Amino acid sequence: MIQLKTMLNCIDNSGAAIVECVNVMKMKRHAKIGDRIIVVVQKQRNFGPESGPGASVSTSAANKVRRGDIRHAVVVRTAKKLQRPDGSVVKFDDNACVLINKAGEPIGTRLNGVVGTELRKMKWSKILSLAPMHL
Amino acid sequence: MATPTHTLRPLACWKSILRHTRHQKVATRSLTTYHQNVTYSKFELPPPGAKPQGPKKIKVYPAPAFPPANTKEPLKALCADQIALLDPTGARTSLFSKTNPEAAKVGDILLVRLKGGDPFAGVCINIRRRGVDTGILLRNQLTRVGVEMWYKIYSPNVEGIEVVQRREKRARRARLTYMRKPKHDMGSVQNLVLAYQRSRSGLRGSGQKEEGLKGGKKKSVRGKKH
Repeated sequence: MIQLKTMLNCIDNSGAAIVECVNVMKMKRHAKIGDRIIVVVQKQRNFGPESGPGASVSTSAANKVRRGDIRHAVVVRTAKKLQRPDGSVVKFDDNACVLINKAGEPIGTRLNGVVGTELRKMKWSKILSLAPMHL
Repeated sequence: MATPTHTLRPLACWKSILRHTRHQKVATRSLTTYHQNVTYSKFELPPPGAKPQGPKKIKVYPAPAFPPANTKEPLKALCADQIALLDPTGARTSLFSKTNPEAAKVGDILLVRLKGGDPFAGVCINIRRRGVDTGILLRNQLTRVGVEMWYKIYSPNVEGIEVVQRREKRARRARLTYMRKPKHDMGSVQNLVLAYQRSRSGLRGSGQKEEGLKGGKKKSVRGKKH
């Protein structure tokens, strides 16, 4: 149930850590997994874990977005239960999204964390292929 | 049309009566009486004056017996029918029945094998017993994110449900929703499940000759556990 002011985790390496939803696109309802939203980057990811040998890569990747940037994103996990057509229900512990550009391509190059399989239905196969696991 | 004057002049009423009939006659003359029998219906109507044919024979069904036999509780019977269809061996029913002492209970780690897709394993934190709609709620952590899945135990998509590990002590709650809290969260059960799958595949590799069929596999595993 992603709506105005919802804070989401950003699970890609675009540099954003926590983003806030400011709009749900093409809908008057709350967003679910696979829906496109507009977000404001609220907190940048620190380069702590990745500032080892590949520091230059991670910093350049981290610089892709800054705090206060307005970006498009796709919801990949929701804490709201989501029922599948076969009757099973999936629920994650957090709300998470992946930043994309206006053409729909992910800004980051890798994802860390499980994503919902509904992305396939909504034609986000590029994000699904980046994800380490989908459910 | 009586006028008050006729008591004085009794014959005077004739005048008004005659005038009335004269008016009527004029009105009648202007009425058209021309009539042609034109039908606009596509179907041929019976000619006027034809005898109406007898009433059409309509098949009449006798009323069903009430109350119908063997349906004191029709929904229960329907539910039993559906369970018999979806779970012909009764294995799934006994795995979650309340009377079976070997049944899976909340707190156990269960593995749900699916027809299309990867199996899902997790701690069972809720069993919703509603006849054919019975479902289980499994919780696990994947990539350090808590994930909960509801599965219908009679769903045709669910190939099998296996008990990976039982809880040592019986849970004192029907629903272990407190396991969502960080203090009580079990974390990932993936390593337990992997160990279980490895041991089972080892067993299956040695005992494949005598078991043979796919159906025997599940039975032997469950038999070992019981």
